[in-house]
Amino acid sequence: MNSQQLELTIGWLYPTLMSTYGDRGNVITIERRAQWRGYNVKVLPLDQNATADEIKSVDVIVGGGAQDRQQEIVMRDLQGAKAEAIREKIENGTPGVFTCGSPQLLGHYYEPGFGQRIEGLGILDLVSVHPGENTKRCIGNLVIEVTASRLAKDLEEMTGTKPYLVGFENHGGRTKLGKVEALGKVVYGLGNNGEDGTEGAFYQNAIATYSHGPLLPKNPFVADWLIQTALRLKYQQLITLQPLEDTLAMQARESMFKKLQVNPPKPTVLA
Amino acid sequence: MGNKIKLIDRVRLGFAVLVAKSVTFGVRSLRLGAASVLPGAIARRIEPRLLQLLSQQVKNGVIIIAGTNGKTTTALLLRTILENKGFRVCHNSTGANLENGLMTAFLESTNLVGTLDVDYAILEVDENIVPKVLTPLQPKAILCLNLFRDQLDRYGEVDTISKRWTKVIATLPPETVVIPNADDPTLSHLGQQLPQKVLFFGLNEPENYLEAIPHAVDSIYCPRCGHSLDYQGVYLSHLGDFTCPNCGFTKSQPALVSSEWQQILVGLYNKYNTLAAATAAKELGVDENTIRNTINNFQAAFGRAEDLVIDGKRVRILLSKNPVGTNETIRVVTQSTDKTTLMVLNDRTPDGTDVSWIWDVDTEKLVERGGTLVVSGDRVYDMALRLRYSEKTPQSNINLIVEEDLKQAIATALEHTPPNETLHILPTYSAMLEVREVLTGRKIL
Repeated sequence: MNSQQLELTIGWLYPTLMSTYGDRGNVITIERRAQWRGYNVKVLPLDQNATADEIKSVDVIVGGGAQDRQQEIVMRDLQGAKAEAIREKIENGTPGVFTCGSPQLLGHYYEPGFGQRIEGLGILDLVSVHPGENTKRCIGNLVIEVTASRLAKDLEEMTGTKPYLVGFENHGGRTKLGKVEALGKVVYGLGNNGEDGTEGAFYQNAIATYSHGPLLPKNPFVADWLIQTALRLKYQQLITLQPLEDTLAMQARESMFKKLQVNPPKPTVLA
Repeated sequence: MGNKIKLIDRVRLGFAVLVAKSVTFGVRSLRLGAASVLPGAIARRIEPRLLQLLSQQVKNGVIIIAGTNGKTTTALLLRTILENKGFRVCHNSTGANLENGLMTAFLESTNLVGTLDVDYAILEVDENIVPKVLTPLQPKAILCLNLFRDQLDRYGEVDTISKRWTKVIATLPPETVVIPNADDPTLSHLGQQLPQKVLFFGLNEPENYLEAIPHAVDSIYCPRCGHSLDYQGVYLSHLGDFTCPNCGFTKSQPALVSSEWQQILVGLYNKYNTLAAATAAKELGVDENTIRNTINNFQAAFGRAEDLVIDGKRVRILLSKNPVGTNETIRVVTQSTDKTTLMVLNDRTPDGTDVSWIWDVDTEKLVERGGTLVVSGDRVYDMALRLRYSEKTPQSNINLIVEEDLKQAIATALEHTPPNETLHILPTYSAMLEVREVLTGRKIL
């Protein structure tokens, strides 16, 4: 299939309410990597005015983090047909990346430090609780090894090595996983709750993580996995992605690994 | 006011001051630094109520300057206005704005027996310690410049900070003057709730509206009812002319007509700094002539739109430490005809250890206009990656130079700057100090 004909619609969940800290980086990374390959890309903001049909039209979903007050506005807005549309998308395998507050939104509930429990969509079997303002936030650089079996296998095939992700976490809430698979295990940092060594969650093709929005620029193979998965679902065939020049991303990863003194195996290719 | 202090307090205060002064002397003679934090820390150990005992002695009152962006420039302008009127002013001018820094600033102006002989104290205060220091300081005036998300890795969320501010300010005496930014919804709301005398400052110049609300925006929701605000226009980030269609909350009338006032330095953000300082100075009884003359002759604080000449080439340093500030410095750069820019990104404690914010900056605007972009700093590759992802096609017309070594990066950037152009340097805080050190050959802090 000619790359000029390929089209990709990125659905961005509540760009003004849920974009606390660099979360736009994930949208930009998917958008550019598709543009650079000549695809026709559209970014569709899914805010309070969005309809269920609009949600159903997207090929890949990006969701970021929110402050508690904004999170509440979102959760109140995301009910009925719109909530159903998101559930349907995720259950049917639409790929997505959900960072910071978004995984809490997709889980059963979030209990903020102050005020009432906020009900989530219950798509992911996880719960999040803020232990109160006097408990330390989980803040700092984060390195994880992806252990979610299907994703780990796909990423290993793409890069020729075990997949390690590098990011930054900053969250007050602690997340406990139920029957959902963790995204990975913590190599450096705190992860879901600072206790059980798990980080994030992986369900169908949804990637949930506490790592901030610019997760994808330094882990471009994850962006490419999202793009490839989206195109396969949309066009019902495997589309081989043309490799991109990722030297800067490699250098950014290397300098962070060096700084944190962790030594993950080096990918032979990034994309 | 000094005689109000009990003898025993005075003795202990005197001792604390003496020790602190010896520390300052020691640190400086051994050339260990500028001693902007340590003396305060030690003196406070000896006399925990130091801040209170010293601030009581300030003749005309303490003025607090708080907010995410613009503290140093606003403080310097207000200080210069007051000094031009012949007042003696004590000021934490090195930007050390946590408790020990405030204390050290006081100690600098104190004699050996603990007597403080100044007319005003101007204190730049970090947003997070505002609630802690207001009660001991009992300020005469509080300038609330703006609240942007910054250093979330340390403090959490903007909402939390504004709530804490409102709570503490409300307990201060009724004659305290509060000067909030009317264009910042959170601060406008704060001012409208207070029992004190409130004077707003803000812009009323629709010709300076941005074309669209930028991405690096924090509060576009009504601080009173939570509904989306309607903006007639924005000046920068979430600062603008707004009303709430649900509850009628709207921006308050500023005390000064902004269009009648010149601004200091480049950039619209400095207009806010000018208006804040002018509003405060007028309230303190300074005549308009003195204020206007000071504004016309103002020189930048270090690293804030500071102009230098290096080897015959002009260099302008524009501190860029958070999304809003950086979007504004990018606006300054893109409005010039100069085509060489150096960006230096560090992730040390004073910068914030998280560099995610660079993805909220509209670097696309820099990249679209072409030219040479040199990047450096501890997180040079993160910055380079952000710039690369600002290119809509893989072959854009920028010349991106990645240089880990800062000295080399500065040299390269200077080489690429033609003799008739200015090199713009956009550094984070610790990077700014390093850049200045390289450029001027000496340490500033």
